[in-house]
Amino acid sequence: MAGAARRTPVTMPTGARTWDEADGTHIDVRGLPSPQPMVQILSLLQRLPRDAVVTVHHERDPVWLYPELVQIGWWADRIPGEPGEVRLRLTASP
Amino acid sequence: MKQAPSPARRLAGGFLAGAKSRLLPPSVPFRFFGAAVAFHVLAWAALLAGAADWPHWRGGLGWPLAALHGATLGTLLCSAIGASLQLLPVATRQPVRSHRLAGALWWLYVPGVAAVMIGMGRADPLWLAAGAAAVLLALAAFAALLGLNLLGARGMPGVVLHGWGALVALAALGLSALALVSLWLGRPWLDADAARGLHLVSAAFGVMGLLVFGFSYILVPMFALASVPDERRQIASGAAAIAAVACAGVAAFGVAPSALRLAAVGVGALALALHLQLMRHALRTGMRPELGRALRLMKLGWASLALALVIAGAIVLGLPVGADALPRLFGVAVVCGWLLSFLFGVLQRILPFLASMHAAQGRRRPPTPSALTVDRPLALHFAAHATALALLTGATLAGEGRLATVLAVTAGAVGLAGALSFAVFFAVLTQRLRRAPA
Repeated sequence: MAGAARRTPVTMPTGARTWDEADGTHIDVRGLPSPQPMVQILSLLQRLPRDAVVTVHHERDPVWLYPELVQIGWWADRIPGEPGEVRLRLTASP
Repeated sequence: MKQAPSPARRLAGGFLAGAKSRLLPPSVPFRFFGAAVAFHVLAWAALLAGAADWPHWRGGLGWPLAALHGATLGTLLCSAIGASLQLLPVATRQPVRSHRLAGALWWLYVPGVAAVMIGMGRADPLWLAAGAAAVLLALAAFAALLGLNLLGARGMPGVVLHGWGALVALAALGLSALALVSLWLGRPWLDADAARGLHLVSAAFGVMGLLVFGFSYILVPMFALASVPDERRQIASGAAAIAAVACAGVAAFGVAPSALRLAAVGVGALALALHLQLMRHALRTGMRPELGRALRLMKLGWASLALALVIAGAIVLGLPVGADALPRLFGVAVVCGWLLSFLFGVLQRILPFLASMHAAQGRRRPPTPSALTVDRPLALHFAAHATALALLTGATLAGEGRLATVLAVTAGAVGLAGALSFAVFFAVLTQRLRRAPA
């Protein structure tokens, strides 16, 4: 998952890691109990501009996240990840 | 999990398909929620039908008892089964054990509850026994599914503890139900008061109460977008609640009844205090603390539970204040005030959310939860529910005269109007879900 332009990861108080790479902001919510991944991802989206691109590193399909994403006008695309990882790219809908 | 055929694909078409192992087909949970909404209508209709009996009713067969079981077995437990089948596998990172068994449960449980209501309303023990047999068989299968899920659960120790407590209480509920049905069939094998006492405690506080407390640790943070409540306090609250149910359950058999019932009230109050502290923290620290009408209903539920514990304390201490009305007032506060208020607060938020979640499957752009919701019927339901609760409380306090009957009739009519309003909300939701563009 690391890219050439990786910056220093920040561990949020609740356990999620966030960092910036050339392709946008990354957030790793693996290992967090429900509904913490959803809360951390939505909290991050709230702080970012609408043209941001966010890559989510998850260990399972975040089924509870999708209605919330749609409600605030964001989309999720699945992109290839490591084995056992669910990786999503989030972008604001036009 | 299926791998995406292309490097990137839209959420709607792909992710929920990949999550099938943890999600039931939407028809299964929505069938249970639909039945719960229908039984809610039938429960108020049964109360209206038996309103003339309400002032004199003390727990025997008749339409008031049918109304009570329409609300408990039909509405509360049916919703709890739907929610357990849908939410627990996701929360505890478990696969759904058997889609077919989960679906088949409905066909056994729902006609069984209907037969129980008819048997109680018409005072026909054979209908009652046939319905109870179907319900108990369905609950045994549900208990097996729930137990397997809890055995394999990863994380969420507080929720899991409440689940185990509810499962043990479900066994006590089944046992006491069998004893009561045997009693009505003229073949008693357990003291009637012991069976009734165990039935009340295990059903209202053991099964439903523990499931409500446990699910709250998943649902309220999800609604408020808050952190998971402190797990040690979840466990402390759950342990206190289980201890309270155990004390009251043992007291039902005549073992130090006053002391154990007083202990149950005290420890139950401690459990509630800890629980409310966690709920308050989640609501205050969440990204979405204002949950509108749903939260007002949940707060009405919590206040009613606190009131029910005060009434229980007064009954145990033998306070000479409305002594005859207190047991029924306790029942109204528990079932209508606490459990139904809380449930409908939850349902009006979770149903559009679950519908949107399922709608994402196979669709490029799923409908938003708010696009699936219709507000006016929910506003009508809220007003009617609160009014019916107040009227039923008045009917219970009014003694046995004409005023009590008039209040009970009005409560039944207003409650029925509220239940029909909620049914309209559910019907519009499912219709919009079906019509959502692919």
